[in-house]
Amino acid sequence: METMIVTGAGSGIGAALTRRLLAENYHVSAWDTDRGDLAGANDQNLDFCEIDVRDAGAMSAAVSRAVEKTGKIAGLATCAAIFHTKPFLEVTEDDWDAHLSINLKGTMMSCQAVLPRMLEQKSGSILLFSSSIARRGAPESAAYAATKGGVLGLGRAIALDHARAGIRANILSPGITDTPQPRGNMNEDDLYGWADNIPLGRIGMPEDMVGTALFLLSDEASFVTGQDIRVNGGASLF
Amino acid sequence: MAGIPNILITGAAGGIGRASALRMAKTHHVIVADRDADGARAVSSEIVAAGGTATAIQVDVSDGASVREMKAQIAADIGPVLSAFFAAGIFIRGVTGEIPEADWDRMIDIHVKGTFLCCQAVLPAMMPANKGAIVTMSSDFAVMAVPGAAAYMAAKSAIYSLTKSLALEFAPHNIRVNALGPGPIDTPILKSGRTEAEYEKARETLADSLPIGRLGQPEEVAAVLDFMLSDRSAYMTGQIIHPNGGQLMW
Repeated sequence: METMIVTGAGSGIGAALTRRLLAENYHVSAWDTDRGDLAGANDQNLDFCEIDVRDAGAMSAAVSRAVEKTGKIAGLATCAAIFHTKPFLEVTEDDWDAHLSINLKGTMMSCQAVLPRMLEQKSGSILLFSSSIARRGAPESAAYAATKGGVLGLGRAIALDHARAGIRANILSPGITDTPQPRGNMNEDDLYGWADNIPLGRIGMPEDMVGTALFLLSDEASFVTGQDIRVNGGASLF
Repeated sequence: MAGIPNILITGAAGGIGRASALRMAKTHHVIVADRDADGARAVSSEIVAAGGTATAIQVDVSDGASVREMKAQIAADIGPVLSAFFAAGIFIRGVTGEIPEADWDRMIDIHVKGTFLCCQAVLPAMMPANKGAIVTMSSDFAVMAVPGAAAYMAAKSAIYSLTKSLALEFAPHNIRVNALGPGPIDTPILKSGRTEAEYEKARETLADSLPIGRLGQPEEVAAVLDFMLSDRSAYMTGQIIHPNGGQLMW
């Protein structure tokens, strides 16, 4: 059995991915500040770690524990992020710092926690989560957009720096998806109303992202690295 | 063919098309279409020998009459096609200022018009089914540039644009259209227009230039194709995926 590490595993896409990885017979080291949707999950292969992605020590310890348990880290998926909309001129320095430190620096630090082990193994697949907002922008989303743009650059840099070591890194950019993130910023009618603007006629569900995430994390994508895969129902074609 | 879905693959006699035909044969009846009839039959036989089923069809994708004939033959002998991969392609090397008009036309006809004609051939049957997935063959060179490949780059960019246009138009019918954009893959196209020595040197140089340090194998592109045609990518349309060893990241 191999370990997959998922950050932001307690809700949304992270929780859906965690469940699917367990079903696919992975040991999952699931990181989040709150157990959330995984509260009822009782799987012997699930190791929930109460971790803030700004805490390097806790992440390294969790990696060591996973290595002791299974001997191999097959992949890392970084889903941890916050998203609070606000008119740009009302964004405080604290708002800005919170987004940057969790969404961007937290992603970087999760990768730093896991990469040493992957380099030892000479294998591993990293999947970072950006957003269609990185390319398209969205109203009152400056801080979030900046962090998700940053993730695109970070993902490519990690891919380039470690390609020769047998490690792949890719990015998944979901379109609007029914998760706690947009639900924190809009009501259900508005959320589902987005379907009118999406060629495939519906908003995304976490499960829509899981199929692509699993593909990119797996050896099926062995020649795919440094790419941003956009799963958005055709809402953005670049 | 009852019980197993059909897939149409053009350019299926060699390279990425052949690897894709062999891979998709695990789950599909494969229509192995190629200009090279012997090559198509050989791949078809290979599929059957491995326990799959296939039909070989000769087609010139740049010729409307030939594509329509293929469509009629599929309708008569095989049945609905809800998955298609259009991999037929050629590569003619040439400095932009010196490309003969005939070479330009051939390049654009096979890639762009061929993709257009083949899409027109399969889409009408997908619409009543309210289901379908098409993958076109673009390239890293739809986005990035190299010297000596103007016609190829124009063709691959055009295919990418056509793909996005079709994705928008057919999304209401639950038909997804995406593009593959491979980087350097070890296929016969890499040999085209090169001596054996030049080919060996090109392989080495290309491998060295890639972040991942090696050329891709056709099977690695076929694995991405399988994903793009499957329900694993049910919410993805109008996108391009680059199995390219990191040659282009965007």
